Amino acid sequence: MKIVIAGGNIEVDYLIKMFLKSNHDLVIINENRDYCEYLSETNNIAVIVGDPSKTYVLDDAQIINADVLIALSARDADNLVVCQLAKRVFHVKRAIASVSNPKNVSIFMKLGINNAISSSHLIAQTIERLSIIENLVRSLLIEDEKIVITELVINDDSYVAGKAVKDIDSSFRFNISCIFRDPEVIIPKGDTVIQTGDKLIVVSSAIDQSRIVEILQRKRDNE
Amino acid sequence: MSKNPRKRTIIVGLSRLGSAIAAKLSEQGEDVVVVDKDDDSFRKLANTYSGYQLIADAVDIDNLEKAGIKTAKTVIVTTDDDNINIMVAEISAMIYNVPHIFVRLHDNDKSVLLDSTNIHAIYPFLLSLAEFENIMKKEEKNI
Repeated sequence: MKIVIAGGNIEVDYLIKMFLKSNHDLVIINENRDYCEYLSETNNIAVIVGDPSKTYVLDDAQIINADVLIALSARDADNLVVCQLAKRVFHVKRAIASVSNPKNVSIFMKLGINNAISSSHLIAQTIERLSIIENLVRSLLIEDEKIVITELVINDDSYVAGKAVKDIDSSFRFNISCIFRDPEVIIPKGDTVIQTGDKLIVVSSAIDQSRIVEILQRKRDNE
Repeated sequence: MSKNPRKRTIIVGLSRLGSAIAAKLSEQGEDVVVVDKDDDSFRKLANTYSGYQLIADAVDIDNLEKAGIKTAKTVIVTTDDDNINIMVAEISAMIYNVPHIFVRLHDNDKSVLLDSTNIHAIYPFLLSLAEFENIMKKEEKNI
């Protein structure tokens, strides 16, 4: 893949090393001349010095038809313009913007940049999910935060332990896509019986997540 | 708020151009708000300016809403930063459907981002170039 990294500070060095390991083609654009020299020397790659929100700089960097562009400036407006130019003028397939102001995640989406990442937004999301769900191992939001993949472990006092998948309370729609029963990986059918210690991978709509987790973690006595 | 939903003019960025437009519209009796994140910039406003003043970063939509963007008929964006100008103009157009939007841009290569929007851009570079060509034509006649 051809990956362009526009702007950014310390994280650029890390990303370069990571992407080089997986043999991606890299184009690095940065305004800081000293930092460019450092990046170029330590990673042995070409780095373009300049403001990536200028079309002639993007032109020099030959980003045309790149697979991915990542805009990492600390200023959200710069990243917006870089991503829009990359997509509209240089036909870059995917443009990803980091944003400092978490409110800009949804603003960028409305302005045509679907991949905006805000570290404070991600942290807030993670904390919120972790605090509502006990025993939750991991939770991953996809498709604009509409779909959630939840990973959770079944305790021995859980009412679903010993139950077949088809007999679980289905007042909310969800799908147990996979059961991990060390060392086995089971793709369950309706008559698959859930056991204590099973790790379930559940796919559902994000708004139903807390109620579905509540169902799956209901204690046996409550039944 | 009055029944007439859109009558406000918001000027973002008290550059020399922004300040001059603010004074002019205010003298004409328009409902004007000027927004700039730098306290000092407000010194550029003429004494005749009688509109509102908001010290805030216009790249944050909460501040644009404070300035009354939901009821704005016109947004004029004249900070010294092209990228901020583009972002504020796009937010005005695509999120708040402001009917009249003017933006000053130094880099005319960025005009491509405003295609198929209702945003009017003013490019000092192109105006200067046109003026230079005008003057040259006149000079040539005199030679």
